[in-house]
Amino acid sequence: MAIFDLGERFLEFLTKVNIGDFRLAEELPDVDKYDIAIVEGTAITKEQKRRLKIIRKKSKILIALGACAILGGPQEIKDYRGNKSRLIRQIYPNIRGIDNPNVKSVKEMIKVDLEIPGCPINKEEFFEIINKVIKGEIPKIEQKPVCEECPRKNNMCLLLLEKPCLGAISLAGCGAPCPKSNFPCDGCRGPRKGINLNAMKKALIVKARLNEKEINFILERFGSKNEFYKYENKN
Amino acid sequence: MKIRIDHIAKIEGHASFTADIVQGDVKAAKIKIEEGARLFEGILKGRNGEEMPEIVSRICGICPVVHNLTAFKAIEDAYGLTLDETSILLRKLMMLGQIINSHSLHLFFFSLSDFFGFKTDLQLINAYPEKTHDATKIRDIGNKIVEVVGGRSIHPLTPAVGGLRKAPDLEELKDLLSDCKNILPLTIKLGEFFVNLKYPDFHRETIFVSLTNPDEYAIYEGKIKMGERTIESKDFLAMTKEYQGQDKVAKRVKFAGKSYMVGALARLHNNQEKLNPGAKAVLEKAKIKFPLYNPFYNILAQATEVIHCFEETIKLLELITTGPIKIIEPKISNRTGEGIGAIEAPRGTLFYSIKAKDGIIENINIITPTAQNLANLEDDLEEFEHLGSFSALSKEQRTDKIKMLIRAYDPCVTCAVH
Repeated sequence: MAIFDLGERFLEFLTKVNIGDFRLAEELPDVDKYDIAIVEGTAITKEQKRRLKIIRKKSKILIALGACAILGGPQEIKDYRGNKSRLIRQIYPNIRGIDNPNVKSVKEMIKVDLEIPGCPINKEEFFEIINKVIKGEIPKIEQKPVCEECPRKNNMCLLLLEKPCLGAISLAGCGAPCPKSNFPCDGCRGPRKGINLNAMKKALIVKARLNEKEINFILERFGSKNEFYKYENKN
Repeated sequence: MKIRIDHIAKIEGHASFTADIVQGDVKAAKIKIEEGARLFEGILKGRNGEEMPEIVSRICGICPVVHNLTAFKAIEDAYGLTLDETSILLRKLMMLGQIINSHSLHLFFFSLSDFFGFKTDLQLINAYPEKTHDATKIRDIGNKIVEVVGGRSIHPLTPAVGGLRKAPDLEELKDLLSDCKNILPLTIKLGEFFVNLKYPDFHRETIFVSLTNPDEYAIYEGKIKMGERTIESKDFLAMTKEYQGQDKVAKRVKFAGKSYMVGALARLHNNQEKLNPGAKAVLEKAKIKFPLYNPFYNILAQATEVIHCFEETIKLLELITTGPIKIIEPKISNRTGEGIGAIEAPRGTLFYSIKAKDGIIENINIITPTAQNLANLEDDLEEFEHLGSFSALSKEQRTDKIKMLIRAYDPCVTCAVH
């Protein structure tokens, strides 16, 4: 949806490329090869998983777009909950025929050439990256914390105001809209490389007075707990 | 003759359609939702109530604002909180932005091609460059309203339990007001364009359900109106039943065993006397006799609502930009109880029912507009022979008409599977 939100720029962009398959805007048959494929969401059903593999085979460059594709999204929370079969029974009286696998990010299923994170994605960042990709570049997202982009850094820091803000360990590039709206960062873009998770947890316990369970709840939100925990007991 | 549409384009999410056509009659018309189960109602149990609105806004990229705000309303109802007028007004503004944004996307980019037989939006854009720019400008305003008030155009940030966590910038609101005034004529032009389209004939009686409110065209708050009856949300929900469709993963909803329709056309039936004057004037040009049991007109109803929402936004912005905006920090003393939230989403009434104890969610049920409309849509599709000259159409033409009807409902498949 953020892509549509580019408005006029999106319309102009459409004139520069040949759209192979974009069901939200056309209903032509699929094409055989893609130069660039952009995948959003998580593949849950068998059909979605099958299609994901086909798209990979057909594409030169495959981009995973957004938190669901890159981290698993909120639908992965169920896997942190223990008994996912019990969970599905609470919602559907008849669960026959409903796929309920462990949720995996796109890169856990197929090779991904480039990831554009966020929930929502930053449409400006997307636009910049996609225009580079069209020219044959594979840009890298700079590994810096959200704090660096935060308008509240220094004395207005939400963590110092005892709010559970994950800005220090989260990947920047969003422009920090959350802390700007007094909303603590909860890491929708996932961890930046080389974070000190233990120090962050300690700060959340001391400053924001969270317990371990509450910290995990936040880390789970975008299906990213496993990504953050790769850095446990490191640094 | 079997009709199968594998992936219905230009709706949010993945759905397919199957039916048998026997001597011109449609039999066993079924929509099959092809999305994966996400179990939102399950994952929220045991979590902090305050977290819920943020997580549920991820149910949908087109209508995150209404999921967010309806969840807040359910929590506030459970905790027994009443909001200050400023917070309510700002939330109403966000909802107007939400509807403008969603409707203009559906009207122009999803629906319009059907009237001209275009298979891609690019054909449409090339044929109507000026209209495309107008629609884009209108939609940009919808996004801007949510961005200025909500802190971000998708997945808003400022709403909080009992109010808002941040007041919008007064200067930005004033800019927005002048933008809305500049763009309003374009919405009227676009509305008139939709008045002049040729809508397929169709007739099947149903019940129109929406919120209703004596003070305004109900979007953010009201009771439930269905036909001549007006009842409380909780009484309405007590009579509705969710059941699994043949696809299992998406529920359908019926009221007392009957399918019913929610959305722009339902709201127009129930509340049209409350429309703002510009919207009313355009609607009058269509010379429609109500009740109008033709779901294709949901498209015209949306076009009318876009005008109304612009006029309403201007009204509310003029009210709030008269002085400094003060946000009152809510005092929350109780975090235990049961509550219902209902708001008119772009596609119809969205319901959240929750039960919380000491701030932790024990139970939650979400009934989306599309889940409610699916049963009605399937009933419509079964009676497709009521569409004028359906039996004389070729298979391809029939398929196109079926797709057009499905799209007229503006279904949101991702919302239906939440």
